Amino acid sequence: MTLEADARRRFVCRVGICAAAFALAARRTSSAEASAWEPPPRFTAPDPSSEEGGLWALMAHEEQRIRRGQLLIRDPGLRLYLQGVACKLGGEHCPDIRVYPLRTPWFNASMAPNGMMQVWSGLLLRVDNEAQLAAVLGHELGHYLQRHSLERLKDARSRSAFATLISPLGLGGSLGGLLVAAGSFSYTRDQEREADRIGLELMRRAGYDSREASVVWSNLLDEASVHPGANLSTTSPMFATHPASAERRNTLAELAGAGGGQLLEAEYLASTAPLRKVLLEDELKRAEFDESVVLLTRLTKRSPERADLLYYRAEAYRLRAQDGDIELALADLNAASAMAQCPPEVDRSLGFILQSRGERAAAVQSFGRYLRASPDAADAPMIQSYIRELGS
Amino acid sequence: MNRLIVLALCAALAACAAMGKVDTGQQIVADRLVVDLQGPWNEFNHGVDVPTWTVEGFAVDRLQFFVGIKNGEPIAKRPKDESKQRPLTFHSSMNAHEVVALFEGLYTQDGSTFTLERIEPITFIGEPGFKYSYTLVRRSDDVRLAGVGYGAIRDGELTVIDYSAPRLGFFPRYEDQIEKMALGARLRS
Repeated sequence: MTLEADARRRFVCRVGICAAAFALAARRTSSAEASAWEPPPRFTAPDPSSEEGGLWALMAHEEQRIRRGQLLIRDPGLRLYLQGVACKLGGEHCPDIRVYPLRTPWFNASMAPNGMMQVWSGLLLRVDNEAQLAAVLGHELGHYLQRHSLERLKDARSRSAFATLISPLGLGGSLGGLLVAAGSFSYTRDQEREADRIGLELMRRAGYDSREASVVWSNLLDEASVHPGANLSTTSPMFATHPASAERRNTLAELAGAGGGQLLEAEYLASTAPLRKVLLEDELKRAEFDESVVLLTRLTKRSPERADLLYYRAEAYRLRAQDGDIELALADLNAASAMAQCPPEVDRSLGFILQSRGERAAAVQSFGRYLRASPDAADAPMIQSYIRELGS
Repeated sequence: MNRLIVLALCAALAACAAMGKVDTGQQIVADRLVVDLQGPWNEFNHGVDVPTWTVEGFAVDRLQFFVGIKNGEPIAKRPKDESKQRPLTFHSSMNAHEVVALFEGLYTQDGSTFTLERIEPITFIGEPGFKYSYTLVRRSDDVRLAGVGYGAIRDGELTVIDYSAPRLGFFPRYEDQIEKMALGARLRS
């Protein structure tokens, strides 16, 4: 049996177990505290000549583009894992759901009426455990199960937003374009509230701790706090599609009640581990260092043993370069240097700081250590030129 | 469905902007940068304060000139939306890596992904400078681009010439021409 076939077999088994667990859990939650809401039966494809059929065709076109595209994260383990989480939540709708992780370093997820779900890599960097991931996927499944996008089709502005998905020129060049693309899946406040409630219900039925939904929201609001007074819908695709308010976080916490259930942190971190470096590098390339410092400070508190997180926070400080940032960067770099599995790039960053301070001999030593650890690095010729310049 | 396509076409047409011809031979960019062209280009005025040329079309290849950026200035103005994105500010004390990080920020602000393939020292506009090569997966259409940039700081001001085009076909077609033009570029005194 090939690895792929074996992985597929294990996935099918897991989905089967999940579906059974979902059915059992659903029966358990028919107790007094459970919601009266029940998921609808599986959907069938609409008549292609109808307006809904047109939307499905548009989404099928977009899905084909994603499947063939360069942004799709093709890590088979991650894709199976995400599909598995969506299936735990989706129950009998599992065969209709297709999850696509995309390399886009903002927090966002969306689900189209034909069952295509997008999960952006910025979300994967920002959630701490499987329960938090399930909170977001459950919310998007709530929109799908209640067919909210079809209600939105009646709105001309929404049709325009959907249309931008097939117009590459309409999206180019700025965060504004990204917000428009994300906005294709924005809903009314009432629809958002309904999706919140259903998402929490799906979490509970799948055995997750539903209190994690408000934690996700709380973390996002912490990052957004670096833009005091700003219209947050212009800063993030997530806030372009979901009202950003503390009230929403509080409501989620109230609805979750005493909670209880699984977090599955180890499972989540293991499944996303192969992507760690790419996720963190992409986060820095956004050049939104205020947000990155908040995020990385939270992640370093969660995983204080990880030298890589200290390195990336040091880079966020160094590149932001406000008063006091270089000292903060140095503190992180020195702490990372003393840890196991310290990335070689720590020495390069130390070299940059020492170079800018005119500490030539120490800078040469740091750059030398970096080159010995990474002789084939893309920037090795440039670092060698710094060393020559410092030695002259 | 037809209405959706019409709306998409309207969005595409709205994205169009004024084009002008750039002839073969010596040209002066932004009143200061002198370049020698082996063939004609088209100047694309798209409302951004960075001279931008193309041979194959704006959605295909772009040659951008960032000329004389002073200490404390952004490398390019942000689009006039309400975005609260952090400005990409140049400082004359920056090293080559830090300058390239600004361009990473510029090219990934729409969700595209940037991978630095190589950065090496060169002489550019008569100064010790740098050349960087990269790949960029453009989010708007999922096309993988190859790119190259040439930069240097003279008298505290940054000048960068950057070219990108689809990695297969277009980029290799113009790569040598761009290199010759960039290495022969000079600033008017």
